[in-house]
Amino acid sequence: METILKVQGLRKFYGKLEALQGIDFEVRRGEIFALIGPNGAGKTTTLRIIATLLSPSAGQVSFLGFDLKKNPEKFREKISYLPEEAGAYRNLKGISYLKFMAKFYARSREEVQTYLESAQAIADLGERINEKIGTYSKGMVRKLLLGRVLMTRPALAILDEPTSGLDVINALEVREIIKKFAAEGLSVLLSSHNMLEIEFLSHRVALINQGQILDTGTPAELKSKYQAANLEEVFRRALQ
Amino acid sequence: MRKFTNLLTKEIKELITLQLVISLLFTVFLFYFIGQMAKSEVKKALRMQKIAVLNLDTSPFSQELIRNLRSGNFEPVLLRVKTKEEAIQQTNSSNMNLLLVIPEGFGQGIEKLELKPVETYTFLRSLSIMANRNAAVFNAVLKLINNYLSNDYLQKQFPELDPNKIKNPIKSRNFVLVKDKMAEGSAEQITGFITSQSLFVPIILMMIIIYSSQMVISAIAMEKQNKTLETLLTVPISRTSIVTAKMMGAAVVGLISAIIYMVGFRYYMAGFMGDVSRAVKASNLSAIIQSLGLALSPNHYLLLGLSLFLAILCGLAMATILGVLAEDYRSAQSLVMPLVFLVLIPYFLSFFSDFRTMSLPAKILVYLIPFSHPFLASQNILLGNYGIVFGGILYMLIFFAVLIFIAARIFSTDKVLTMKLRFRRKKVVL
Ligand SMILES: Nc1ncnc2c1ncn2[C@@H]1O[C@H](COP(=O)(O)OP(=O)(O)O)[C@@H](O)[C@H]1O
Ligand SMILES: [Mg+2]
Repeated sequence: METILKVQGLRKFYGKLEALQGIDFEVRRGEIFALIGPNGAGKTTTLRIIATLLSPSAGQVSFLGFDLKKNPEKFREKISYLPEEAGAYRNLKGISYLKFMAKFYARSREEVQTYLESAQAIADLGERINEKIGTYSKGMVRKLLLGRVLMTRPALAILDEPTSGLDVINALEVREIIKKFAAEGLSVLLSSHNMLEIEFLSHRVALINQGQILDTGTPAELKSKYQAANLEEVFRRALQ
Repeated sequence: MRKFTNLLTKEIKELITLQLVISLLFTVFLFYFIGQMAKSEVKKALRMQKIAVLNLDTSPFSQELIRNLRSGNFEPVLLRVKTKEEAIQQTNSSNMNLLLVIPEGFGQGIEKLELKPVETYTFLRSLSIMANRNAAVFNAVLKLINNYLSNDYLQKQFPELDPNKIKNPIKSRNFVLVKDKMAEGSAEQITGFITSQSLFVPIILMMIIIYSSQMVISAIAMEKQNKTLETLLTVPISRTSIVTAKMMGAAVVGLISAIIYMVGFRYYMAGFMGDVSRAVKASNLSAIIQSLGLALSPNHYLLLGLSLFLAILCGLAMATILGVLAEDYRSAQSLVMPLVFLVLIPYFLSFFSDFRTMSLPAKILVYLIPFSHPFLASQNILLGNYGIVFGGILYMLIFFAVLIFIAARIFSTDKVLTMKLRFRRKKVVL
């Protein structure tokens, strides 16, 4: 399968702290790729760099053949990013927020309309889409934001801990939305510290710890390599 | 461009909150109210002051004296009772606050100017400034009586001389100069009038700057906390557009605030000037103020408005940067403090000291703070010192440009996400 994102030797310093110590991985078209690791491993830092929020201290990131340093605007056009624990403008109606965001990507009024319809279908909020975001539950906000991220059909959706803080039902719905999106041939790069749910969601995973990738592969490959019952055990053995 | 308008519309919508509208309406109302109050106070001061009078003296002299009170703008109300106690009671039950008692046999000592003391009674019905004025009224009454008596006496002793000439052999004519304009009048009256006019400029300006900065800091801190800023930074729109939209949104809201502020200010001035020019014809104050060029013309309003607008812009731009430094909504509240101090310094200095006599370091400090300039402008426009006014406007423009530059730098690097001002509370280790 075709590689759309390639990360090589990525390093990031926050002052003296080396948060990323040389990260390598690639994401292919139509796959769900997960960075899994404990808090502070460097997942958010990696995702923020690819989303053009932070500049890398060293290393290369190329996306659809474009270089991050040379063409960050190409990244912004074709990548949508969902920050960790994100919210939205509380005083806006759900639909107004979607419209506000859609206008940055759409080239025509019809396209805005197409995006809005697609976002509404993904978020599945019914009539409540016309209410202020301040009145939404956490699960509703997350689904609204997923609708926002996916409505433009980005080549790559970056989702930082998309299910964290959600109840079982909402987390399940979110996972279904992500799977459906990837089934349409688009790619997802996500992060999670919940290693068990990732096993059922992603095609390939990278184990990340203290700014370093420990191993990469499909859940099945990793489980047989480390002779483990699940990814949590894989991670523990990979650490040794 | 369409993307920019989209962003700008959102910024403006976000800033124009119900709170802002209410506070602006309140400002206009406050101005209007103060203007009306000034109006009614002026009216009150001009009205004849009622004084209850108990005359126990039977001589024609005391009657003459009571009649003479009218010339001093007092309206004597003669009480038809026999004793002091009754007079006090009657005055108390009426709505008059002042009682003058002329004792029995008052007129008898007139030849030798050996008069019995008159008695004055003031009913303190409240502790307001008005009550305080009653005391001043009685002083005026006594002055009037004394003047009348001494004039009368001198007239009899020196029939061919004007008693006023004996008492005040030297006369003076007083002139006031403002720049190249001159008018006859007292400096006391004029400065009193001008300070009463410009007193509220600093207060309202301070309110607007602090309030709108707070608003911007909170809005940005909220964007950081909700990660909506993070989201915005990843959409296909330039970073410069994001900063410019933020600043322009703040500017539009600042401009609206400034305009509303100026409208309110006009109300205030109209309330004041209207009556002063109509009623104080006697002292000719309005004519003097006009001829000295101390009245605000439309151009002056424009200039003052511009100065105010730029100060508000500087405040908002600083608030934008401070907002980026805030970690979350709550820490943003403490970040507004440095701004408040910057506004308070010129505010207090303008009250407690004369800027021209300040020491050099103090002067430089005042000049460096952008918010000082509208304070300085409100007086210097009237006095015709346009150098300071235009200099201030130029300085604020430069200051604003530098802030935009800094903000654009912050937004185009990592710093917008990684820069933080933490107010760490010291942990108590037990
Ligand atoms: N803005 C920042 N300034 C300084 N250190 C940071 C900053 N953001 C993250 N770090 C540090 O970098 C490391 C990786 O953080 P992060 O990427 O957020 O991890 P994760 O998302 O895997 O939990 C952590 O040690 C964290 O403390
Ligand atoms: Mg994280």
